[in-house]
This record gives sequence, structure tokens and C-alpha cells, in this order.
Amino acid sequence: MSLSNLIKNWSSLRVKRPYEGQYKDKDYKWAMVIDLDACTGCNACTTACYAENNLPVVGKEAFSKGQAMHWIRIERYWGEGDALPKFPERGAQFLPMLCQQCESAPCEVVCPVGATHHTPDGLNSQVYNRCIGSRYCSANCPYKVRYFNWWQYPERAWPNPLEQQLNPDVTVRSKGVMEKCTFCVQRLVEAKNRARTEGRKVEDGEVTTACAQACPTSAITFGNLADSKSQVAKMWERQQIDLAKDKQEKSDENMRGYRIFEDLRTYPSIVYMERIRDLQA
Amino acid sequence: MKVHIKNILIWLSLCCFCSAALAEPFVQGGPIGSQTDDGFNALGPVVEQPIEFPHKTHAGNGPGQMNINCMYCHTYARRSNVSGIPRLDKCIGCHKMIESVRDKPRIKKLFEYWEKKKPIPWKKVHDLPDFVRFNHERHIQRFYFREHRPVREVCGYCHGDVGSMNTARRVKALSMGWCVSCHQKEHLENASTTKTSNGPNDCWQCHK
Repeated sequence: MSLSNLIKNWSSLRVKRPYEGQYKDKDYKWAMVIDLDACTGCNACTTACYAENNLPVVGKEAFSKGQAMHWIRIERYWGEGDALPKFPERGAQFLPMLCQQCESAPCEVVCPVGATHHTPDGLNSQVYNRCIGSRYCSANCPYKVRYFNWWQYPERAWPNPLEQQLNPDVTVRSKGVMEKCTFCVQRLVEAKNRARTEGRKVEDGEVTTACAQACPTSAITFGNLADSKSQVAKMWERQQIDLAKDKQEKSDENMRGYRIFEDLRTYPSIVYMERIRDLQA
Repeated sequence: MKVHIKNILIWLSLCCFCSAALAEPFVQGGPIGSQTDDGFNALGPVVEQPIEFPHKTHAGNGPGQMNINCMYCHTYARRSNVSGIPRLDKCIGCHKMIESVRDKPRIKKLFEYWEKKKPIPWKKVHDLPDFVRFNHERHIQRFYFREHRPVREVCGYCHGDVGSMNTARRVKALSMGWCVSCHQKEHLENASTTKTSNGPNDCWQCHK
């Protein structure tokens, strides 16, 4: 950004994010809803993400050191096991964890080289060319969804001729850079381009992420929060969740929607719907 | 002493501001003296093509030149990311009707490929790195279809005046600083308004 551009946009750059009605007049704000009651923990979303975003399979040894590169992972909890002494294995709970695309992202402010930014449509972007691998962003991420390339993975993850299956719309990352979920930005860019040529906005359901597309129980819903008629916007509204608030006031205590670590004031773009279980059954 | 420090600070900040404002946007990327017409040391190499295709004859508008629209051959520029290199049957489609030039060496070579049923192995001249997402469609839709600027001018923003060359040569820098230098400009939205807009300034628009 040049000096003139910096001065011109100074007031908009200095504003505290997020604020009430930030995306009201904007075209896009990408957001997601994940229904934990529908999630079966099948890992189809993870697999789809590996295929779509050129994620390397790191192998058993690296995985055991916590170097796996899954941009979306299924976290497993055994919270309900104690209530079911006879069938403790029924107590497993699953939670797909991916980048929450925070509106006030802790990772963005600590990058020493400005490799991670907030895009106008509300995504938390990562530019691999600019990243120097300080890993500060990962340390500052409360969700631990940023993944570092400890090794030069491409040669061993896709030996010839497997490199033919790589997605040409996504960079193959090299050693020493940080990477994270992009909300499948390559699909978003393409959908926006198509819509623009036809002189309209992207319609609801026209574009979706790989994980949402692969989910067999439709637990993941993806869409444009700035469009009040989209499914995601309706779900957010029904769950009485406001993007710009760190504490949601709800009219009904049994409402299932929540955002993870809201009290850290990261203002995530993903709403989770709590699981319902009848433990007597 | 206090005044001293203040003075130094003012001078320092002045120096920073001036150097930032006056710094060349991008001059590396090629041997010194290989300057493009917009001031970047980034003139591309001469690329030897299998047939020395005269863009001049086809797209030029001088006497005896055909003044064909760039997008008659590079047909995908208006509807996809890449502009596309025309297939051999596009060349033959016209040239089998043009008897007068059939004996020229270049046309003979063209028909040799046609008879052997082999595509012409054209070499890439404008090559962007794999991590860049450039979209021809967006630029053509805006400047050619919406603003009705002349096609040679619109393509020429990035490709130079190919209509005056034989085989194309990269004459623009095609570097990030060069792209941004245009995206920062205040472009008039159309001829009848004073409203301006910039190109996108968002990393993920071009970086993938």
C-alpha cells in the first residue's frame, strides 16, 4: 500500500473492528454454521479439505509430533461418558475445528511482516510469499488452527505421478511458511467473478466450501452473512448471535447457537450449534 | 538538548516520508538498460517461436494490415482467466481461402503442421508465477465491454502494442509493484461520470 493510499484510507484503517453494522452495506461477509448435533465425526470434511487445498499427508511420525496439516480437524471429547457407565463409548462428542476467520483476529496483529490480513469480505488471509515463518501467529491463535510447514512436504506427499492430482488454483506451500483454512477462497473468487460478469451478487448456495460440500449430514452451512436472506444469516439471526458482540443476550436459555471463546473478543465467523442428547435413552 | 532530539526526529521522519514517496516502484528483474516504456528494468527476452507469427499483419491497422480484433483468435480472454492460444484450425480456417500468400515460407510451414495433424508448439511469452491468480475476463469486461475502450489499448495495458510487433515480446514488467501501480490509480468508472474507482487492493484477489 502506497503512502497516498495509506493517508487516504487512514480513518478506515484505524477503526476498531468489528463494529455494529459493519457489513450492512457490503456485498459479502462469509460465515459458517456448524450443527454439532448433526456431526457424526466421520472426517469427510477433513478428507475433502486435503483434496481441495493441496494439503500434504505428513506421515505417522510427523503426526505424532503434532505436525499434521489438516486445516479442519475433528476434535473428540468424552464429556458424556461418565453419565453412561454402561456404554461409555456412546459419550463421544465431535467438534470440527477450523479457522474461525475472526473479525478481530489475534494472529493478524502479531505478524512481523504483515503476511496475514483481513480481507474486505471478512476473511483472515494468509499470503505465503510474504510469510517468513516466525510462527508468532500460531502461538497467538486461541483455536490452534494455523499449521506450519516444518518440512519440504511436496516431494514426499505427492511422488510422481501423484502431483497430477493437485488443485491448480491453490499454491503448493513450501517449507517454512504458515498456512490455514481459507474458506476455499479459490471457489469464492471464481463465484464472485462469474456473478460480476453477469452483473449480480453471488446467490445463496451458489458457492460452498469443500468441507460443507462433503458433509454427509449437512452439518456445515456456508454462506454470505451480509445477505440477510441467506441461510447462514437466517440461522445466525434465529440463534440471536450478533457478529459484533462478545456476549450474546438470548431470549431463550435453550438456544443452541454459540461461538467458541467469545469472551476472548476474537469475534469468530463460525457459529456452533450445541449437541442435544437424551442420556436416559 | 531537548530541541536537538526533536529536530533530529523531524528530519528523520521527513527523510523517511520523502524516500518512501520518491522510491522507484520496481526496477529490478532484468539487465540494466532493458527498460520497458513505463520505466521498469524488466524487458522480456526475445522468444523464438516455431513460426515467426506476424501480429503486425493481423492486428495492425496500417495499409495492407488486417486490423483483426485480438479476441478473434485469443477468444477466451473475455470469458475466462486465460486468453488462450488459438488452435491450428483457426489459422487454417482463414488461410485456406487466401490463395495469394500460400507460397510464403511461413504459410508453407503452417500447412506442414496442418498436414501432419500436429499442433504448433508455441512458446509462452507472458508467464506469471504459479501463486498468482490473474483474470483476463475481469479486465476485458471492465475496460472493453463496459467502457468501450479500443481493444488494442486495453490488451496493451499489459501486453504492450502487440499490433506493431511480429512475434510478441514481453514489454511490461508484470511484477507485483507494476500491477499495484495501476490498481492504485483512480480510474474513471465510465466516460460520462467523474466517479472513480481503484482496482482491488486485497492480497487474496491475486495471490492464491
